[in-house]
Amino acid sequence: MSSQLEVREVARAFGGVAAVDGATFDVEAGSITGLIGPNGAGKSTLFNCITGYVRTDSGSVLFDGQRVDRSAPHRIARRGLVRTFQTPRTLTRMTVRENVLVATPGHPGERLGGRGRRAEREADARARELLALVGLDAHADALAGTLSGGQRKLLDLVRALQTRPRLLLLDEPMAGVSPTLRVELLRHILELRARDGITLLIVEHDLDFVMNASDRVVVLNNGRVIAEGTPDEVRGDERVVDAYLGTHHG
Amino acid sequence: MTALVSGEFWAFVGVVAGIYTILTLGLQLEFGFTGLLNFGHVGFMAIGAYTMAILVAKEGLSMWLAAPAAVAVSGAAGLLLGLPSLRLRADYFAIVTIAFSEIVRYVATNENALTGGDQGTIALGKVGVAAQYNGQWTRFQTWVGDRLHIGSKDVTMLVIVWAAAIVLLALTWLAVRTPWGRVLRAIREDEDAAASLGKNVLAYKLQVLVLGSALAGVAGLFYAWQFSFFSPGDFQPLLTFFAWMILILGGLGRVWAVPVGAAVFGFVFAGTRFLDFAPLSSFDSAERAYIRLIVIGLVIIGLVVFRPQGLLGKRSEMVLE
Repeated sequence: MSSQLEVREVARAFGGVAAVDGATFDVEAGSITGLIGPNGAGKSTLFNCITGYVRTDSGSVLFDGQRVDRSAPHRIARRGLVRTFQTPRTLTRMTVRENVLVATPGHPGERLGGRGRRAEREADARARELLALVGLDAHADALAGTLSGGQRKLLDLVRALQTRPRLLLLDEPMAGVSPTLRVELLRHILELRARDGITLLIVEHDLDFVMNASDRVVVLNNGRVIAEGTPDEVRGDERVVDAYLGTHHG
Repeated sequence: MTALVSGEFWAFVGVVAGIYTILTLGLQLEFGFTGLLNFGHVGFMAIGAYTMAILVAKEGLSMWLAAPAAVAVSGAAGLLLGLPSLRLRADYFAIVTIAFSEIVRYVATNENALTGGDQGTIALGKVGVAAQYNGQWTRFQTWVGDRLHIGSKDVTMLVIVWAAAIVLLALTWLAVRTPWGRVLRAIREDEDAAASLGKNVLAYKLQVLVLGSALAGVAGLFYAWQFSFFSPGDFQPLLTFFAWMILILGGLGRVWAVPVGAAVFGFVFAGTRFLDFAPLSSFDSAERAYIRLIVIGLVIIGLVVFRPQGLLGKRSEMVLE
């Protein structure tokens, strides 16, 4: 396997406080990589740096060997590096179906005066399929603003999938999702990887989830990568335990 | 009270409502569909009216060339304003637009050689000669009136303005129903989310500002033709806010809510001048003119309280977060 995403010495400070301080790690194509770390470790800022929402002060981000750290968010997304948000960004006054359809990549009907009938039919078929996958098909024509928090999380995921991502960055996909739904969500994520060969980078607080789902785990603390490896390797790593529990344990 | 039953008078009210419909349709596209807070819409209307008048009266261009050129210049002004300012946050963009429309008005007031300055379009020609820009338009209007066997000038204008308004409404309605319109609504709902899905938010906003400004330019043309003369004072920021009132009255995000809002606004605005019975008759007519603003204000307050979605909006959409 080769590195699909390379994060090299990325740093970003806010008002003199370093949120990300020279983070370096790789994401292998086709893998599920978990990005963990205590609160304030810089996970969200790093996510924003990778997806173009926050400019890096220094360092570089390479996707398929090409630099993306100076690109606009929509350009990064078009390359297939697609994110979800920690709090779902539901388009509330649009229907659930529209939320998904609007994510269709390269839709000719999205140009003013463009003809997109065929693309629209294909997009609709895929949207139906994805909505059925997460059990939202019954709500397809409801306004997305009527969905519950957990359902919105699923809708965000489905919407991101409609873009046909190659690397999907999930920002706390389990936050606010009920325990029963969590199991289902994990199953969907594993299915997706198997079916479409999507690479996943997941920021998550739920350590059980990360350790179960991930091939590799990257541990961030104080804006730097302090450990990297398989879930078992990371679990046994002294520095990781220190980061989570403080240095004066035991 | 005779004017109350005068067809001519109500035709005039209808013409103004038609012009407001076209003006507000631009705002509907910008704010109702895309979420752009434009408080300087009247500036683009002024650019349309002035460009046409200058090209005809000063350059001797045919009205049939000057009119589309004026609409194009209005649209281009939207592009020029949008390029540096649409990257700003929505509230800052709103401030830039209101400043823009005031700049347009001040330029029109002070660039005497170009615009006729304070005196208005009458001073577009040589000193001592009253300039005209609507000779061709008057002939066209007479021709239409003859063809349709309409004797009245105002009624003819009513037919022309509303024919144009309906065509523009229909085109906008068709456009916003496409996947293109869906992207606009996604940007209105959450532009970060739209960008995360690969949508070029700035490009769509620019397109919409250009189209909305061009619509304001069309409204400016009809305004110029209807009144045969205008000056910078005709394009006060108040006009922008009248368009906003119409937008809120009719309902956001609905194309056909615009003519409804404009008709109600026109009716209330014109109708209040007939409030000359006691006790209101103790005010003189100039004082009564202000009553209509009070009435419109009360209508808006009542609407916000009882029907925040506007006359044609959907209530269910208002409660979503």
